[in-house]
Amino acid sequence: MSTRRPLALRVNRAEHELFAAPGDTLLTALRDALGFTGAKRGCNQGACGACTVLVDDEPVRACLTLAHECAGREIVTIEGAAGAAQALQAAFEEAGAVQCGFCTPGMILTAAAMLERTPRPSADEVRAGLSGNLCRCSGYRKIVDAVLRAAETGAP
Amino acid sequence: MRMEGTFEVGAPRERVWRCITDPTLMVACIPGCEEIAPVDARRYRARVLVEVGPVKARFNLVVEVVEELPFERVASVTRGEEGTRASILSAENMVILAEIGPALTEVRYSSDVSVTGRLAKYGLGMMKKRVDRLGVEFAERFRERIAAGATSA
Amino acid sequence: MSALAHLHRPATIEEAVRLLAAGDGERVRLLAGGATLVAMMNAELVDPAELVSLAAIAELRGIRALADGGLRIGAMTRHRETAAEARLAGAAAVLREAAARIANPVVRNMGTIGGSIAFADPAADYPPALVAADAAVEIAGRRGRRQVPAREFFVDWFATALAPGEMVTAVLLAPPAPGRGSYDKLCRVSGDFAIASVALSVAWRDGACERVGLAVGGCGPRPLHLDEADALLRSGRLGEAAARRAGELLAAAADPLEDVRASAAYRRRVIPRMVERAVAQARAQLEANR
Repeated sequence: MSTRRPLALRVNRAEHELFAAPGDTLLTALRDALGFTGAKRGCNQGACGACTVLVDDEPVRACLTLAHECAGREIVTIEGAAGAAQALQAAFEEAGAVQCGFCTPGMILTAAAMLERTPRPSADEVRAGLSGNLCRCSGYRKIVDAVLRAAETGAP
Repeated sequence: MRMEGTFEVGAPRERVWRCITDPTLMVACIPGCEEIAPVDARRYRARVLVEVGPVKARFNLVVEVVEELPFERVASVTRGEEGTRASILSAENMVILAEIGPALTEVRYSSDVSVTGRLAKYGLGMMKKRVDRLGVEFAERFRERIAAGATSA
Repeated sequence: MSALAHLHRPATIEEAVRLLAAGDGERVRLLAGGATLVAMMNAELVDPAELVSLAAIAELRGIRALADGGLRIGAMTRHRETAAEARLAGAAAVLREAAARIANPVVRNMGTIGGSIAFADPAADYPPALVAADAAVEIAGRRGRRQVPAREFFVDWFATALAPGEMVTAVLLAPPAPGRGSYDKLCRVSGDFAIASVALSVAWRDGACERVGLAVGGCGPRPLHLDEADALLRSGRLGEAAARRAGELLAAAADPLEDVRASAAYRRRVIPRMVERAVAQARAQLEANR
């Protein structure tokens, strides 16, 4: 007997219909059913941060969130980047903060939520804010630079 | 992961020997052991449930006696797996009996256990603590059984 | 493949307890924030047939004041909310500081106090903080509600006073008292589980210690707490000698693990240092207040 059930998810400001098993994570639904592969499957344990997406404007681990728990909520992946996330994308490019790019979507969405709350963070605040997002290429320095740069340009 | 321990039993060595080589008695003494059945003269099949917090694992094991010196020592190797899952357990075990008095025997045991698969992701440090405690529990149950007059002879 | 066949979303605690009681503790599990349970499901460490999500139960959410001035922290309150709660001040600040040290901002946005303490990882941040603050845990089961002091709630590695079919509904704190609460954790990298942690909660009035709660995390099957150490610190007015003796007592009573984070000997060695530091900071603040 199939346990897969229909599910309506609102992703990047559009409605999507899919089938998901009760134990399917949001990450599985986004990547495998809906094709939003910007959210990356790294550790699948919540440790690396590569799967981070926004749910109702707050960052969550898509690998630790069940898809059926997200019905009726507003999900944003890197494909739907707008506002601060878009400014961050440009800043990452300008600062050379992208190497392999696997951690970048999670970094940008986590940073976007942080800038909503703390529009002008210090470098230490940026480091603390991104402490749950791992990058195995860089020394984090350019990533922190990029977030600070985005905060400056985004300031009123 | 190495576990070892020593405990004393108030019974003659021959009687302790008969008890540790009695599968029925062992089922009652080994924490989490649900079943032991002989396969042939040297091998036993055993089913053991290991519980650590919310994680429960049921292993199907084969214990093979590789060396036996009656009344003194028995060496065995254990191999097995956890149902259809990927956890594999192997162990080398030794039990040595020493006569301390006419009705007092020292049991010394050691086991080198290795676990691979999903359980190995769960902190080994904590598993060691858990296993050490199982050793103490085993000794208590074994002493109780002997005191209650258990013997296969 | 996962055996999970049902994801329930009850609207009340009573309904959640009824669904939980239908299982045997392994087949049916409660889903709080998911930060630990879903990770364990992904790692195939647990494989429940049914999950009972607590997300739709309004009564479990948020922090509110009780009639006696105490605080009730609902089981589904996220670490982020607890870390930002201004009413967790004075002696109760220990809980706020512990919440702020859990994992990282994203996980703090998911994880809940109820889920964390029901899992009862002895290296986690809440257990020693709740023990130091002498909080109580509210539990619901088929026969109604009951309260258990935090000092009796944590019983062993990953084991609590919860009986099969019971769930954590809230953490209860006495009315916040003037004083100091602090939580310090020694860890390899920011957000990791503790090698060792020290939670201290001191309530004072007119320059005198009224109540001291000291607990050590990460160094045994449950938070390490000794009435004797608390009494020493209170009667010794948080003095250096009392701090040294309390640290020695706790180190002697510890039962630490050997693991990738540190050896047992190292953990025993850092406990007194961390206790002395926490007590010295509290002493300095008490003296400044005089």
